[in-house]
Amino acid sequence: MLAAAEAPVAERPLLIASDIHRHFEGLHAVDGVSIDVPAGKITGLIGPNGAGKSTLLAVLAGTLPASSGTSVFDGRDVTHSPAYMRARSGLVRTFQLPSEFARLTVLENLLVAAPDNRGDSLFGALMGKRYWIGDERRLVEEARALLKRFGMSAKESDYAGNMSGGQKRLIEIMRALMLRPRLLLLDEPMSGVHPTIVLEIQHYLQDLRAEGLTILMVEHELHMVERLCDSVVVMAQGRVIGRGTMASLRRQREIVDAYLVG
Amino acid sequence: MNSYYAANLLIYAGVDIIALLALNLQFGLSGIVNFSFIVFQSIGAYTAAVLSLPPDTANGGFQIYFGGYQLPFPIPWIGGAVAGGLLAIPVGLVVLRKLRSDYQAIALLVLSIITNEVITNARPLLNGAAGLALVPPPFSDQIDPNTQSYQFLYVGITAVCVVLVFVLASRVVNSPYGRSLRAMREREIAAIAIGKNPVQLKMTVFILGGIIAGLSGAILVGFIQLWAPSVWLYPETIILFAAIIVGGRGNNIGAILGALLVPVGFEELTRFIPTTIGPPGLIPALQWVAIGLLIIGFLWFRPDGVRPEPRRVFEGAPVIEDVDRARRS
Repeated sequence: MLAAAEAPVAERPLLIASDIHRHFEGLHAVDGVSIDVPAGKITGLIGPNGAGKSTLLAVLAGTLPASSGTSVFDGRDVTHSPAYMRARSGLVRTFQLPSEFARLTVLENLLVAAPDNRGDSLFGALMGKRYWIGDERRLVEEARALLKRFGMSAKESDYAGNMSGGQKRLIEIMRALMLRPRLLLLDEPMSGVHPTIVLEIQHYLQDLRAEGLTILMVEHELHMVERLCDSVVVMAQGRVIGRGTMASLRRQREIVDAYLVG
Repeated sequence: MNSYYAANLLIYAGVDIIALLALNLQFGLSGIVNFSFIVFQSIGAYTAAVLSLPPDTANGGFQIYFGGYQLPFPIPWIGGAVAGGLLAIPVGLVVLRKLRSDYQAIALLVLSIITNEVITNARPLLNGAAGLALVPPPFSDQIDPNTQSYQFLYVGITAVCVVLVFVLASRVVNSPYGRSLRAMREREIAAIAIGKNPVQLKMTVFILGGIIAGLSGAILVGFIQLWAPSVWLYPETIILFAAIIVGGRGNNIGAILGALLVPVGFEELTRFIPTTIGPPGLIPALQWVAIGLLIIGFLWFRPDGVRPEPRRVFEGAPVIEDVDRARRS
């Protein structure tokens, strides 16, 4: 396959999903999809509306159970592991629609995702502030560094529910990063975001890839996909109809007809 | 105002504060609409009663109940708290795991009604509609409960419990764990996506709330010395919800204010309305109308209550002018 031929030799898939089906009362939203997500790469997932991209992402993240099929993350079968366990093991998703915690501040939205805070258990909480304040201070620093990188430092004490659509996107990406993910599943991270911020997100995702993070992203903006993604998977009507680089996909007639028109 | 009335008022206030701190953990902080809250207070009261009462044959058998262990203070109170926590386990496992939150509320309301009906009609269990009377107050074998000093001793013990529960509840509310609970309340699916297990979070806070509710029931029954199905009908839970809404959801100080304003203040004030006005039963009926209006009025005009949940600003945060704007938008 083209993508494999162009990819470095040492690459190995971090996530292997095999023959994933997801039915909704007769509707085959995902219909036998197999997909490998190579480690340390950005993989794009494109396709027309209703192709099943978001459903596939939800199945991979465990938010929706698969009707059938298996998912293996980092060599471990996670098919039956619940979404929160997958998130804890480093398989973290974002949502297509804003999903901020409205009545938590921006900073709290980030802090709440941090996995290693001694105060984040009933026991820790009852032990009192002295027991967890060290962790909290460290995580506040970590979260503030992220806010600075995304230019949102001034907003840290505002309620996340009062932010704009684009800012909510950023909050969600930062929140996912606080989990220190190994595979990030991004569902249209750029939608509704101002072009200058889009560029920043793009640079940041590239930086994250350079640091070794693996990303699978659903995106409609094809120029963005071309610039950012090492390989691309095309879906239509619940199936994978092609994969490779954007350049190679543009040469395939049926894919151009199905999706890449123009 | 005599001292008995004062003690009575203070103890009711203490019991309501404890109950509302528990309900605030469940509803205000975590978003669990526990419409069966009064059942948890009640099981605490019944448990404390049967642990401190003598066997039912002791008083000429005028009331029937199981147990009757005559255990000394503080075992009945601890027993009441434990019973509240234990009851929360099966109820939580059935209600909180699968149901959507609005159905949870309905299921819990129905549970409250069924439980009350069962206890009312199954007399051998806890003496049915007549309830349990002559529940021995703590230390009653050492001090005469009808003295003024005993009344204030009871107020003192209640106050200690209030402080203890307030400290524990505040630690939960202000901790990273409380933050996780608030995140779950705000958007459960996103909380799952960042690794939170909502069933575990809900179960923990449901059990913790059950324990505190049980304690509040134990304190109350030790003072009023009787407990019957008529004192824990499901509308009692509605009064507590009204108090949380008035006081401020998610704020412990708000919960205390709510306790003082609604169950204590509201009910005490209406006591002074002459009962000769209108047909008999008019004033109590109007009380319910007023509670309903109070809830609607606050939800309409001041949905965050008298003391809203505080916005957490961290040390070293940049100073911003436009704080707290448009929260309700």
